[in-house]
Amino acid sequence: MKRVAQYLLAALVVLLVWEGVSLGFLAVRGRIVIPTPRAAIEAGLERFPELAAAFGASAMRFLLALLIAFALGLPLGLTVGFEPTLYQLFSPLIYLTYPIPPVALLVFLMVAFGLGETLKIVVITMALFFQVVVAAQGAARSIPRTYVTAVRSAGATRWQLYRHVVIPATLPGVLTAARVSVGLGITMVYIVETKLGAVGGPGSGLGRFIEYYSFSGELSLAGVVGLSLMGLMFYALLELLDRWLCRWKHLEGPGGA
Amino acid sequence: MIEVRGLCVAYGAGRRRVEALSQVDLEVGAGEFVAVVGPSGCGKSTLLFVLDGLVRPSAGTVKIAGEEVRGIRRDVALILQDAGLLPWKTVQQNAELTLRIQGRKANVKDVLEQLGLAGFERRYPGELSEGMRRRVGIARALALHPRVLLMDEPMANLDSITRERIQNLILELWYRLEFTAVLVTHDIEEAVFLGQRVVVLGPRPGKVVEVLENPGMGEPEYRDTAEFRERVHHLRELLVGSAA
Ligand SMILES: Nc1ncnc2c1ncn2[C@@H]1O[C@H](COP(=O)(O)OP(=O)(O)OP(=O)(O)O)[C@@H](O)[C@H]1O
Ligand SMILES: [Mg+2]
Repeated sequence: MKRVAQYLLAALVVLLVWEGVSLGFLAVRGRIVIPTPRAAIEAGLERFPELAAAFGASAMRFLLALLIAFALGLPLGLTVGFEPTLYQLFSPLIYLTYPIPPVALLVFLMVAFGLGETLKIVVITMALFFQVVVAAQGAARSIPRTYVTAVRSAGATRWQLYRHVVIPATLPGVLTAARVSVGLGITMVYIVETKLGAVGGPGSGLGRFIEYYSFSGELSLAGVVGLSLMGLMFYALLELLDRWLCRWKHLEGPGGA
Repeated sequence: MIEVRGLCVAYGAGRRRVEALSQVDLEVGAGEFVAVVGPSGCGKSTLLFVLDGLVRPSAGTVKIAGEEVRGIRRDVALILQDAGLLPWKTVQQNAELTLRIQGRKANVKDVLEQLGLAGFERRYPGELSEGMRRRVGIARALALHPRVLLMDEPMANLDSITRERIQNLILELWYRLEFTAVLVTHDIEEAVFLGQRVVVLGPRPGKVVEVLENPGMGEPEYRDTAEFRERVHHLRELLVGSAA
């Protein structure tokens, strides 16, 4: 509940600053450069069904990409980080491919996946995938040896080692990385919706909504607010997941490890 | 019960090869309590890892109950340095860990009660005092009903009151459950108080430099006798001398 209050306060601050900047421009330039929050919100509410559809489409795209990136990246990152032989084999490969922006490979991706929705998902997924792999690998490499010894000393199989140590030990780091990459993911959502393949109507995604209504400052800004809320939503979701799955990390008092 | 002959252990290979133990011979009878002391890094933990089947010797033989040790044995339990608790598991889950992994029936209620941990089953290690964490580590080992209990500095870095309490606890458990005990410690007084024999390892690569017979161990008044102080003094000279 305290957290919710903090977010509400932050939203209030953003709105106030926005209002201030908007009025400041108006006073200096004598015309509206940045619409006020109120104007943007009113414009957004007028086109609410369209805006909501755009929000839903973007959020689904991001969610799907995030899930695929985790499903593929987590096993790869954890095993490469934890198994020394795999690390020697694959880590140079990961660091070679990691810096390549997926957009740089667009031509090939378009040939491979066509110009439809699949391409959009693939590009967002690729960006997130490497974030997940690198975070999981780093977390798996820094697991304290004593946890591994404790479980090995019980005669654990490989799978039990992953289940009791590798996965829970890396979970906090991986979830933190996921939260950090929400920003990147949303940037990618915007890029694929505005620059990639067949473009749809303003309801086909928040990025498209912002671009489509670029003639109206109020509506564009309403789309931007939508993106911000979407980011916040995923961020909050991941934080809830962290509090639920990593309870042991969030203990009361100085004893909390 | 335990028979170690010509044991050598080395970590790594090539230029990074570290010899941890060299030509160690050791025999521990069934139900005996042996304390092992030695300077830091001399291979005390390594010796326990070998007895537990976690680390393979590079030479020599290690037998428990007449069989060569080839891996983890169900009748041997190891208490790790710093207890080795998993912070994401509760007290109960930590105590049950080994049993569950081995697919055995997990009932740790009695053991937790005996160690004064009743009521804390659902707490996480991060919510416990250091002394309680050590007791959870002991509970995990005892839950296996081991014939051999290997202990790696279970009392290190505890305040002196908690240390004595846990020493007494271990003694009491040993009298009652009659397991064979190997206790690694760098605390000389603790070794002389608890070990029927005290095995002294020299600096790395560790080998046995002396075995001290210590029949008076375990008696509460033993600490105040001249005999006790003499043995402690002797070991201190030996260890501080050999570390210099
Ligand atoms: N996994 C490992 N890889 C390489 N070297 C190791 C490994 N484990 C231990 N060693 C080395 O082997 C030697 C013995 O280590 P060990 O942990 O058995 O000593 P110890 O007597 O238990 O020390 P301490 O009193 O500090 O716990 C040390 O020099 C250590 O650096
Ligand atoms: Mg040690």
